Amino acid sequence: MSITVEVKVYRTPITIELKEREEIIECGESTFVMKYPIISGEDMKNIASLVKFNRSAYLASMPIAQIVEKIDLAVQKWLNPDYALRRLAEKLVPVVTGYDEEMVRLEVKRYIRTFRKKELLRFLDEEFDQPAMLDEFRPRKTGGMSRAFGPESIFHVFSGNVPGVQIWSLIMGLLVKSAAIGKTSMSEPLLPVLFAQSLAEVDERLAETIAILPWKGGTNELEEPAIEESEVVIVYGSQDTVEKVKEKVPNGKRVLSYGHKISFAMVGREALTPDHYYESIHKLTEDISVYDQQSCLTPQSVYVEEGGAISPKQFAQMLAAEMERYHKKKPRAKLSDEEAMSIQRFRNQYQLEALNNRPISVYFSSMDTSWTVIFHEEAGFAGTPLNRSIHVFSTESLEDAAAAIKPYQQFLQSCGLAVSPNRLFILADLLGSYGVNRISTIGEMNRAKPGWHHDGGFNLLDLVRIMDIERNVEQELERFDPDVE
Amino acid sequence: MRENSTKITNEILQFIDQHNLNLDKAEYEDDYNRLALELFQYQFQTNLPYKKFCQARKKTPLTVKHWEHIPPMPIQVFKHLPLSCEPIQEAQAVFMTSGTTNPDAKGKNYHPVLSVSDASMKGPFKQFVLPDCDRMTIFVLSPAEDLNKHSSLSRYLTNAVTYYGTDKSRFFFTEHGLNVDELIQAIRACEAEQEPVMLMGATFAYVHILDYMKERGLQFHLPKGSRIFDTGGFKGQSREVEMDQLYGLFSEQFHVDRNRIINMYGMTELSSQIYDQTIQSSCLNGTAIHDKKGPSWVKTLVLNTDTLEPVEDGAAGVLAHYDLANWNSCLAILTEDMGYKTEHGFVLLGRIQGSEARGCSIAVDQLLQSNLGGVQR
Repeated sequence: MSITVEVKVYRTPITIELKEREEIIECGESTFVMKYPIISGEDMKNIASLVKFNRSAYLASMPIAQIVEKIDLAVQKWLNPDYALRRLAEKLVPVVTGYDEEMVRLEVKRYIRTFRKKELLRFLDEEFDQPAMLDEFRPRKTGGMSRAFGPESIFHVFSGNVPGVQIWSLIMGLLVKSAAIGKTSMSEPLLPVLFAQSLAEVDERLAETIAILPWKGGTNELEEPAIEESEVVIVYGSQDTVEKVKEKVPNGKRVLSYGHKISFAMVGREALTPDHYYESIHKLTEDISVYDQQSCLTPQSVYVEEGGAISPKQFAQMLAAEMERYHKKKPRAKLSDEEAMSIQRFRNQYQLEALNNRPISVYFSSMDTSWTVIFHEEAGFAGTPLNRSIHVFSTESLEDAAAAIKPYQQFLQSCGLAVSPNRLFILADLLGSYGVNRISTIGEMNRAKPGWHHDGGFNLLDLVRIMDIERNVEQELERFDPDVE
Repeated sequence: MRENSTKITNEILQFIDQHNLNLDKAEYEDDYNRLALELFQYQFQTNLPYKKFCQARKKTPLTVKHWEHIPPMPIQVFKHLPLSCEPIQEAQAVFMTSGTTNPDAKGKNYHPVLSVSDASMKGPFKQFVLPDCDRMTIFVLSPAEDLNKHSSLSRYLTNAVTYYGTDKSRFFFTEHGLNVDELIQAIRACEAEQEPVMLMGATFAYVHILDYMKERGLQFHLPKGSRIFDTGGFKGQSREVEMDQLYGLFSEQFHVDRNRIINMYGMTELSSQIYDQTIQSSCLNGTAIHDKKGPSWVKTLVLNTDTLEPVEDGAAGVLAHYDLANWNSCLAILTEDMGYKTEHGFVLLGRIQGSEARGCSIAVDQLLQSNLGGVQR
């Protein structure tokens, strides 16, 4: 029996009506009619002022503890495997993005868990001495009082299709009591809309402060009013996307940008002992393969130290075998011609260098582009065309190899590290000075922890303005109390 | 030249001679396959980088039994390695790709002798470009051979004039660039005398001329039988649209019959040319087939970009050409052009662009760009 389900891939306050166009997705026995909005500049202005109005009428005066409660209720819904929207997402996101179904199911679940109440509280405490300062003026230890004001409204420009990341940005906005306009990418517009729908199930008025709309990046007619009506702009995307959005933002308006980044891993000889090496390879494969390497937390290069039970070259060969196994279990998404050819070119380039007697070996899936491992006898640093392609660099010592990353400071993100404890801080100091801003364990590279410093900065603190009342003001003003002695 | 080089080039010349008009189908397929495999063996033995490339793919003359299984060399490799069976110092000509000023980053195709590529040019040119006459006045808009001895196109254009041009044929590209004023005068003279003329040049040369004509409000009514030949095309992804627009302008500004406009698809890394069949088909039976086709010694495969295996007929993929005239480098080359097969040949969709990451991870293309100062601008 065939079922037809209509899915709105956008969300606006209920009084807004937009024209729609439809796209049909067939998925097993179900037919999904995806409804995309057709938005005019006028619509955008209306939506922007409405979410702001709804915010000041409701969210602006909601205590932070209550906001956390409500987000948690929505998160709880998603932690139930039978929750209708979660099941819809598990079905549709793989179809829309091409990612493996099992992988999406696992990763979305893991991701949503990082927004449980306890994690949100951690997140708040990490950045505010007293989260209550988001509600009212709170005394400071040095005297005086301070209160944090979030922006009236935030324009979020979401990037690509690492599913769910947009939810994090939306939650940040809620925590600082801001209305939101989220521009989703056409390649994954669904999850933020579904999450907002869950918020509406918890508290409809709260969800009325959020609008999520997909449109083609660079549409001035929509982006100009969205920027104009927002106090802060947050943009995720390539250097190019970030620059283009920044050009449109008038001087003085705050822009937070999260450009594309590159991450890598380091495997010391201590993690290559007979009882550890397989686990190291297995976990690294997971880091490389999740979401087909589209996240900026995923490694593109791995430094492998000599002196373990297996040599760096054996490591590369075994990694290749593990990548093949992973691909069999959770196949990579089908690529565009551009992406596939970029992997073919990448392989050719290194095969060519190998032909030129450079100390390089190239391993890849023989039938297609599903995975590629390039082994380098000499230390270096290089990017890949992603989609499960990785460089393995052999090195005598990780501490020496680290220098190779220095020129890439502005792009560096995470380092997955597997070494003995006594080397942790030596390497962390070194990597930190070169621009790395996060060290994680191998196998967890894609899972940043709640309260982390995204790209080395603050999250909520960067969004708010802090207002101070100086300490002598309160004392001075006592004099004007008509009842004063 | 080595003895076996002389032997194989003679066989290729014989094939070209025999199958120029591609009449005997059954015999042709066998002949093509036999010669392709022989040439593959020759290249495998004498072109060392190609040998290693094939070995890495576990393809050798022992395992390859059909020309479709000969591994195509990606054109990017021509930029980085000398791919030549004969010693490169003794080459009669070295043709290089354009586009960059760094000679180390240019693709190079070495020609120990030019007789094979010349022979490969001669017959098909007649067949596809001039099926209806023996000679024509040719006005050339791109540099001739004497100005650019490393350009395969310049050699081709000079050959076209030598083999098929009348005495009035001229080259309008000098060391100072394209002499548009003189070109316009010369076209006017042809108009006045009602003598058919063929304009030949790179696609972008016409863009320049059309701009010039537009600025001055000029138009031509080319005499009947005149034709416009362009090559190179636009490198963008919307190739079809752009070419349609350009040909629309040709008709408007030159009043040349659409069926007398022809596009040649050639590459430095090949030794033969591929044409659309517009002129040929309209002369033969009044139809206009724009699909591309090469001479009988060139075959084209459309490959899946993911597997590099042939796609189903009609599906789009990356093109690989098998050119028997490319005897000294690699007879099989893998391009970066997308296309699809049709009943009459293939349709060229355009160059595959660099890809940008879907997510937030920086892709190698962008990283390279930024190291070259691309990000700072």
